[in-house]
Parts: sequence; structure tokens; C-alpha cells
Amino acid sequence: MLRRHFMAMASVASLALGAGAATAQEPPAPLDNPEDVTIALVRYLSTGDFFQAYLSGVETQADALGVNLRVLDSRQDAALQADMVDQAIALGVDGIIIQHGLTESMREAAQRAVDAGIKVVAFDVNVENEAIPQIEQSDYLLGKLALEQAIADNGDSFAAGYVYVPGIAPLDRRHVAWEEVKQANPGITEAARVGTLDNPIANANANQARAALQANPNISVFFAPFNEFAKGVKIAADELGLSGDLSIYSADVSTADIALMREPGSAWKATVATNPSVVGEVSVRALALMLTGEDPGASVVVPPTLITQTFLNDNDIRNMEDLGAKMPQFQHADVAVADWMALPAR
Amino acid sequence: MAGDALKVNGLQKSFGKNHVLRQIDLTLSPGSVTVLMGANGAGKSTLVKVICGHHRADGGTMTLAGSAFEPTDAADAIRKGVVTVHQSIDDGVIPDLDVANNLMLDSLVDRGHGLFVRERHLRAEAAKVAAAMGIDVNLRARVSDLAVADRQMIAIARAMARAPKVLILDEPTSSLSATEADRLFALIDRLRDQGVAILYISHRMSDIRRIADRIVVMRDGAISGVFDTDPLDYEAAVTAMLGHRMTDVDVAVQSGTKPVLELHDLQLFPNATPINLAAHDGEVVALVGLLGSGKSRLAEILFGITRPAQGQIRINGTGYAPRSVEDAIAQGVFMSPKDRGTNAVIPAFDIADNMTLPFLQGLSIGSFLRARQQRSRAQEMVHQLGIVCQSVGDGIDTLSGGNQQKVMIARWLLEPAKVLLLDEPFQGVDIGARRDIGHHIRASAPGRTTLVFLAEIDEALELADRIIVMNEGAIVGEHANQNIDLAALVADISGAKPIATGTAT
Amino acid sequence: MNDRLLDFAIRYGFLILLIGLIVYFSLAAPGFFGPLSAAFVLQSVAITGILALGVTCTLVVGGFDLSIGAVATSALMLSAYSMVILEHPTPVAVMLCLGMGALVGFINGVLIVKFRVPDLLATLGMMFLLIGLQRIPTQGNSIAAGMMLPDGSVAEGTFSAAFLWLGRHRFDVVIDRLLPMPVVIFVAIAVLIWLFLGFTRHGRLMYAIGSNARAAALVGTPVNRYKIAAYMISGVTASIGGILLAARLGRGDIASGNNLLLDSVAAALIGFAVLGVARPNAFGTAIGALFVGILLQGMTMMNAPYYTQDFVKGAVLVAALVFTFYLSSRRTGTGH
Repeated sequence: MLRRHFMAMASVASLALGAGAATAQEPPAPLDNPEDVTIALVRYLSTGDFFQAYLSGVETQADALGVNLRVLDSRQDAALQADMVDQAIALGVDGIIIQHGLTESMREAAQRAVDAGIKVVAFDVNVENEAIPQIEQSDYLLGKLALEQAIADNGDSFAAGYVYVPGIAPLDRRHVAWEEVKQANPGITEAARVGTLDNPIANANANQARAALQANPNISVFFAPFNEFAKGVKIAADELGLSGDLSIYSADVSTADIALMREPGSAWKATVATNPSVVGEVSVRALALMLTGEDPGASVVVPPTLITQTFLNDNDIRNMEDLGAKMPQFQHADVAVADWMALPAR
Repeated sequence: MAGDALKVNGLQKSFGKNHVLRQIDLTLSPGSVTVLMGANGAGKSTLVKVICGHHRADGGTMTLAGSAFEPTDAADAIRKGVVTVHQSIDDGVIPDLDVANNLMLDSLVDRGHGLFVRERHLRAEAAKVAAAMGIDVNLRARVSDLAVADRQMIAIARAMARAPKVLILDEPTSSLSATEADRLFALIDRLRDQGVAILYISHRMSDIRRIADRIVVMRDGAISGVFDTDPLDYEAAVTAMLGHRMTDVDVAVQSGTKPVLELHDLQLFPNATPINLAAHDGEVVALVGLLGSGKSRLAEILFGITRPAQGQIRINGTGYAPRSVEDAIAQGVFMSPKDRGTNAVIPAFDIADNMTLPFLQGLSIGSFLRARQQRSRAQEMVHQLGIVCQSVGDGIDTLSGGNQQKVMIARWLLEPAKVLLLDEPFQGVDIGARRDIGHHIRASAPGRTTLVFLAEIDEALELADRIIVMNEGAIVGEHANQNIDLAALVADISGAKPIATGTAT
Repeated sequence: MNDRLLDFAIRYGFLILLIGLIVYFSLAAPGFFGPLSAAFVLQSVAITGILALGVTCTLVVGGFDLSIGAVATSALMLSAYSMVILEHPTPVAVMLCLGMGALVGFINGVLIVKFRVPDLLATLGMMFLLIGLQRIPTQGNSIAAGMMLPDGSVAEGTFSAAFLWLGRHRFDVVIDRLLPMPVVIFVAIAVLIWLFLGFTRHGRLMYAIGSNARAAALVGTPVNRYKIAAYMISGVTASIGGILLAARLGRGDIASGNNLLLDSVAAALIGFAVLGVARPNAFGTAIGALFVGILLQGMTMMNAPYYTQDFVKGAVLVAALVFTFYLSSRRTGTGH
């Protein structure tokens, strides 16, 4: 399981090393001729480290399988994202990964793709379709683990700030964990709630968080269950000089986040993450299983990992590669794999 | 003469087949004001444009202070010492800058000027220039906030900053009031004393009497008279300007009996002298006067653009008080405005669309235009007025000025009017088109009354049955266009006593 | 001869280029030439096209409307608010949105003609105002069926099927469920505005105002009324765009519609070049929108990365503007 050299997202490196995991068997049709297979990634969100890492995971796994990949990016335009599914249908692709989006706008488009005989998987968006498996990073668990750490660090009685934008599926699922924790711990109060998905997300949230912190100086914990939110809260805390008095708990991680968490006196105490590039890989693998006629199951869950500031400092972790090396459960998920399936080289 | 500033010899210029300048000889002397007179289309402005480098001459020579003068463009002419202040003042100033910056603009443009503007230095220099020119305005005022006369002074002062040998002023008083003009004349006197040769283009008798040392008259592209004996013979000059055309035009004077438009004690401005006037069916009445005489105001009131201070208007016996242009048109009062470029022409449209614009309602079913009918109506008018074009689908901007003006007049002849107002209908129009338009206006006059607003006497003489002179918002003279006393008419217009030949100025 | 060639190039150059593009993509990108692809192109330009047609009307009277994008997103939020929170039926929600668009257009027009605020500034101000206003009732949140309201209750309303039908219904043309409703509405509005601007006296007077407002006033045109009307048309078409967007999304999504303004203005400006008329016109606007749609679709099929799209749009716009202003001025130059 443990290898000395973990090479994460660099596809160049994967070429240099060759396909690390040699295929045990010949892949079943149509992946025996992967150059004739085209899959499309239809994105809703794309700016931010998480989404870049996700994309690189999709790219490396698609490379390893040898299939063609088309990336269609709607840049947060929900109507355009639905159009792009139609576009992918017109292109005649074999499979589609829907990455984020709005249930209401994507449900029908996804159904049209299924009707056109195209295999579809959805990541982090519920398109309410039985034929479409959900790739999930168990957002509930992400929220849950982060909040458990918050209670472990701060006790079960504190005034908290919370960043939330309703209507975004993963945030809604993380929100469930927050509501449960508040129920179970009457000492935890939600003193302020902020949140926006305006671009640039971190800055927009920093402005809101600054106002909330100024208005509620008693806040000692901020639950920002999305790394761009956490960045925003950290910016606000630094600007107000509150870093020593505030603890931020979040979800998701990137190289930039690691640096921010490891800044001296950083308020960002812990995050819970599923490696986004692993999620990207799993998305492609689940789709590959469907193309060959196998059933990956209605929901494919990629388990999350808790990453604390202390752990990062103790192991001198500077980037995602280091993190993967020191935390193998973060580097690869044994989800949606098959004997015949080529995995990205590591 | 020891040093003629500018000498023009046998100058010729043609546009196509049109000979605009034929063998022009002209001499300008330092320290002297030469007035160049001529009716519209006589070739004055072409002559000026050749001298100031806008046009190249087709023949003839020019010498400046003894050496050959062949300006390649306007900037070259200025560099060599011939500076022109054009009729539209705002070409000569930057309206959004203050007076000091305007006065010093040329030094700012100079490449020798440093990167930074030394504000105090600039203001001190500007104050010097202003003092030298006798300009008394707040140097910090924005030019756009100044009166027209002050803007004119600043434009001239800027021109003088280049120390020209020859200064050409093209109708500088055309937008000035009488008192404003006096200030301009004082400035011109000063420049004359400094030894500048000045060419002053105007046909305004009051100006000419005030400042002319010499009068040169142009007619039909040639010099028709030079007057330099003291005292100047103004009447001969006017006759030389109008020439034989006076007798050319046969206006069969109609007096008309049935009054169509009546003004009763109409006050154009608060406290202005009330106006009483009756214009009759079939009659063409010319209202002449200088800028500020109130004739534009009267036109605006009749067309519903502004309201009179007091008094009543009647059309065919019933009261008329238009609330808007729309209302005026609905009541049968049409107006072709002056300055067709700004006020009338729709540059994006073709001839048919331009012509039929006011009466589209009658040319449509529901709201949909009947394109064929629109074109055939326009075609009719093109025929009647002799508009030179390939088809009524030609863009308006492909036409010459004269033909454009014909389209603008035709616009208001499409439907029968009760009162037709024509404000400066001959502006920017060549002689041929002017005759056609005049002829057509007279021919179509029965059935309405026609009021023509003019600044030029000769145009009025060509067109009108009756000439009404306005000054300072009041009617100051009325002349039936028959055996007219020209001197009295000219005197009425300039608001002065009749010219007595031989009186020293 | 040379003149005639230039004239031909100016008049039909853009359409020939469009046909050339279609032929090229059909040969180079399999799947480009077909009903599915055509429906996609039309679908992708329908909403921006509708907005562009509205802004064309303001361009015709010599104005400009920067608030169209904000009007569309406001209509999107208003329809969601009306149906999800206030539980209005579809006709009420639609009428509210259209009324809001007309009102915003009226206010824009009054600011411009009565208060003499320059058109760009007035509509820019309105844009900011609306972007803020549309977020106030929901405290900056998107509106979805079953959402939690600020007072702690749950929104009971939903988008009705009739409303969603407006954005999602697909007509059976050639193949089943091909032609989306927004495309039909886009084409209908394009034809209406084309007839209105090109063939009615009102349209002709509006062009006269845009070319020389003073001259138009002096032939008795009620210039102010027409200008206000132009902004109201723009507001109403923008709100139609917003309604269709809401019906497609099925929720009041605050993040949607960010690109509407720039894309639709670009389409209207590209429209100047179509047929070489060098002025705003409905046919040109529709073709301009289609041109961008076809180019982007073709490029996507040729696997050009998404981030080249804005660059390509900008390049097309600049080329069209050069085409319009440079070549047309040369033509009038030679006409004399």
C-alpha cells in the first residue's frame, strides 16, 4: 500500500514512469478500444483550488484509461450548464460527468442524456435520476468530523460564526451536520451566519465575515465548511487582528490552504477533506464501470480525512504531495476499481 | 506700396465644372482693414479657404511679404503668418478649459514646453495676453460659460498669439449683438494699430461702416468693385454686391386680401415692444433682421417651440396657441428650420425617408408604412423641385448642399400648409438651387401664407412680396417689394439712421 | 467595378462568412451539421438574443441600456419570489415580471429625458440598484422550493408546471422534443421587433431620433415619448429573458445571468455589420447572436478550450466594428 514516491496529479510524471499498475486483464468493450471512447466533463464551478485538483484527477484517470475527454465549463451559469449537456449529446459522447450544478436546472438535461443512451454520473449534484450514480465525498461526514474536532479543541460551549449558502447540495449536506451538533450541544450558539458564492468567493466572504466578527466580538469558533469560505474568514480574522482568539474549522484542502493553515498563529485549526483529485479519479472510474456495463451502485462515497494544523506542522507538510505521502488514506481511495482498470501512476 | 502683406494675383479655383473663383486680384496692406463683401455663393469663403490653405488654387499666384506663398495645408499657412478665425467660434476655443488655459493653449502644444504645467506661470502669461488684447474676463471662467463675444475675443487672442502678418476674420459678428460687436471692433482697431493686415469678411453695413479702410466686393466668383477713396461709397458697394441680379428677378408682387396669420400685440420677450402683423393668403413675407433681432424667436413661437410673453395669434380668424411642434403641425403650421445639418437632415436616411418624415402617419396603414406610396410621393417632389439624384433611395449625404436643402423644403410642401415658415432657406445653397427653391416657393404660395426669415437683403428682394424688418424684438420697418428704397431698408436693418452719402464717419 | 465589389463585400460579407463557418464546421466537426446541434445553438443564444433585441431598440434612438442584464436577473428572482414564497399562480408571476421590466424601462427613460442623466450613467446606476435590490427580499440567498425563510418557516410554493413549460417545453420538429420554447419566443420577438423597427412609422421615427434628435423633434416627433418607449421595450424584453431563465433553472439562482449583459450587447453591436448598414437593426442583432453561438459551438466541437471563448467573442466583435465603421465610411467616401 505504502509507496515511497507518491506522484499525485502530474500527468507528465505518470507518462515518465509508465502505467504503474499494469493491467491484469484486457478491459472489456468498449474500453478495449479506448481511443474511440469520448467522455465529457460538464462543470458548474471551476475557479478555486478544489475544482482545479478535481479536474486534474479526472484528466489523469482519463489518461490512464486512454479515453478522450471533453471539458465543458459553464462558469457558474446554470442555464448554460444545461445547454452544455445538450451540446455533449450533440457531440455524441459516450459518457458524461456532471460536476456540481443546480438540481432544478440539471434534472431534465440529465434525463435527456440518459434518454440518448449516454452513461451519466453526477458529482455533488443531485439530479434525481435512478440511472445516474452519485459520486459523493460524504459531505455530511466532512462537516461532522470538522465539528467533532472543534468540540475537542474548544469544549461544547462557544459562540460560533457560520458560513452557509443554502441550495448548494454539498453545503446543504454539511449543514445537516451543523444542525445536529447544535441540537446535541445546547452550549453552542450560532451568533452570526454569513455566506455568498459571488466571485471571488474568498474575498466576498471575507467582507461579510469581517462585518460579522466586528458585530459579534464573542465569536470564538467559525465553522466555514468549504475551503474558499475558510480562506475568507481567515482574511477577515487577520485584518481584524483576531487570529489568536478565533478558531476556524472547515472542509476541503489544497496546497494553498496548507500554507494558510501553517502560517504562524493561523486561526485555521483543522479541515476535513477528501482529496479532490481522488474524487475526480473516482468519477471517471465510476463512469468507466458503467460504460462496460457494470453497476457502480447508486452512490459512490469517497471517505474523508481529518487534517489538523498540528498534524501539518508536526510532519512539516508543505503541499498536497507531502500530504499524500504522510497520509496514504488521503492519496488513494479504493473505490470504483476493477481488475482490468488502469490506475494513474503513483 | 512699400510692403504689401499679402498679394493675390489672378487666382482661380473650380469645383468640377463650377468656376468658383475667376481671376481674383487682391492686395492686403499692413495696418489696414479690408472688408470683403459678397452675397452668399459669391465665392468669399472659397477665397478664404484658398488663402488659409484649405484648398489649393487651380491657377494664379500669392505672395506674402514679397515671397511666394503656397500653403500646403492650414497649419502651414499659420506657420507662415496667415491666421484665420472662422465663423464657427467653437473651432477656435476649447469650451471645457478655462480662459487662461485657452489663451496659452498654443504654448502647451509647443514641444519645447516642459512636461508639467506651471500653473502660476501660465496664469501670469495669460493675464499678460489678455491685458494686451484688452480682454476683461475672469481668467478662471470656463470658456463654455462665457458669452459668444468673449469666446470670439479669446479665439482672436489665440490667433494673435502667433503674431500673424495677416489676420482673416470670417463673418465674426454673425453671432454677436450690437454691443458685443463694439468690443470686437475696439480689438480690431488695436490690431490695426499694431500693423496687422486684416481681411474682414462681412456684408453687414453697420460693421463695414465702423471698421472698413477699404471695401472689396465679390460677385459670381469675380471682384466686382474696389472702393478705397475716402469717404467710402457704401451704397455703390451694396449695388456692386447685389449687382444686376436685382433687375433679374421679377417678383410679381401679390398683396393678398384674405388675412391668414394675424399677430395681435404679440410680445416676443417680456417687456418687448408688441408686434402686430397680418400675413395674407398667397403672400410671401420676408422677415429680415440681424441676430438677436427676434426673428428666430418669432419663428419658434409660431412653431410651438416657445411661448410668447403676451398677445394673441390668429389663424383664419381662430385663436392659435400651439402647445408643441406636434400641435403646430396638426394645426397646419409648418416650419423648415435654419441650419439644416443640425436641425433638419437625418443623415442615416435616404431621400424618401427624409422628405416624408413629418407625414408618415398619412403614408401608413395602421402603423405599417406603405413604402411604395412613400417613394412615389417623394419622387413627385424630386421632379417638381428638380432635385438631382439617381433615385429617391439615395442616401441624403450623397447630395450636394443645394439638393439637400431642396429635400428639406420639399418635406414641408408635401401636405398643404396654412402657414409655412422658412427659416434661412438659402443657407449653404448654390445660386442655381436658390433660384429653384425661390421659384417653387412663389409658385406654390397660393392657398397659404408664407413667412421667410432671412438675414440677407438680396435674398429677401428675390423672394418676397413684402419685407418686414425686425430689430430688438420689434418690427421697425415694412417695405413692399416694389421700387424699394434700398438705403432705407439697409438702415432699418442695422438700426441706424439712413446712410447719407458723403457723411464722414 | 472596385466600388461595386466593396459594396457587395460590405453588404453580404458577414452573411457569407457565416455560411462559410457553417460549411467549415460541418466538414471539420462531425455532428455539427444536424438538428440536435442546430437546436443547441439556437437554445444557447435564445435568451441573450432576446435581451440583445431590446438593447437594439435603445441603440436605435441613440441610447444605450446597461441595465438589461440586471433587469433579467431581477425578473428571475422576482418570478421565484412570486411563485415560491408568495405562492402566486403563473400568470401573476409573469405579469409581475413584465410590469417590473416596463417600470424599470420607464424610470430609465425618465432619468434620461427628464433629468438629463446621460444614458450610460443612468442605466449603469439602475444596474447596480437592481443587482442590490433583487437580493434584499431573500437576504442574498437563492430562492428554491422548500427553502427556509428568514422568519424560520418553510417556503410552501413551487414553480408551477405551466411556468416551467415556458422555459423547458420542447416542440417536436424533425425529431421528437427538439425545439425548445425559448427559441420559439426568441424568433417571435425577433420578427416582431424587426417588423416594428423596419416597417412601421414608429420604427422609422425612432431611427430618425437616433440619427438627429433635433431634426426629428422639429418635424413634430414626440422625441421624449419615443425614447422612454424604447427603454420600456428594452426593459420588457429583458424581463422576458429573465422569465425564461427562471423557467429553465427552476429556481431563483442569484449567480445566474452574469454574462447576459456583455453577450447581448456584443450581439447587438455585431448586428451593425450584418448587411453592412452600420446601424442597429433587429435582423442584424439576431444574426449577430447566432453568429457567436455557431462559432462557439463549432469551436467546442473542434475541442477548443473553454477559456478561449471570451477571446473569440471579443475578436468577432472588434472585427465586426472595424467592418462597420471603417468599410462603411470608405463606401460613403467613394459615394461622393
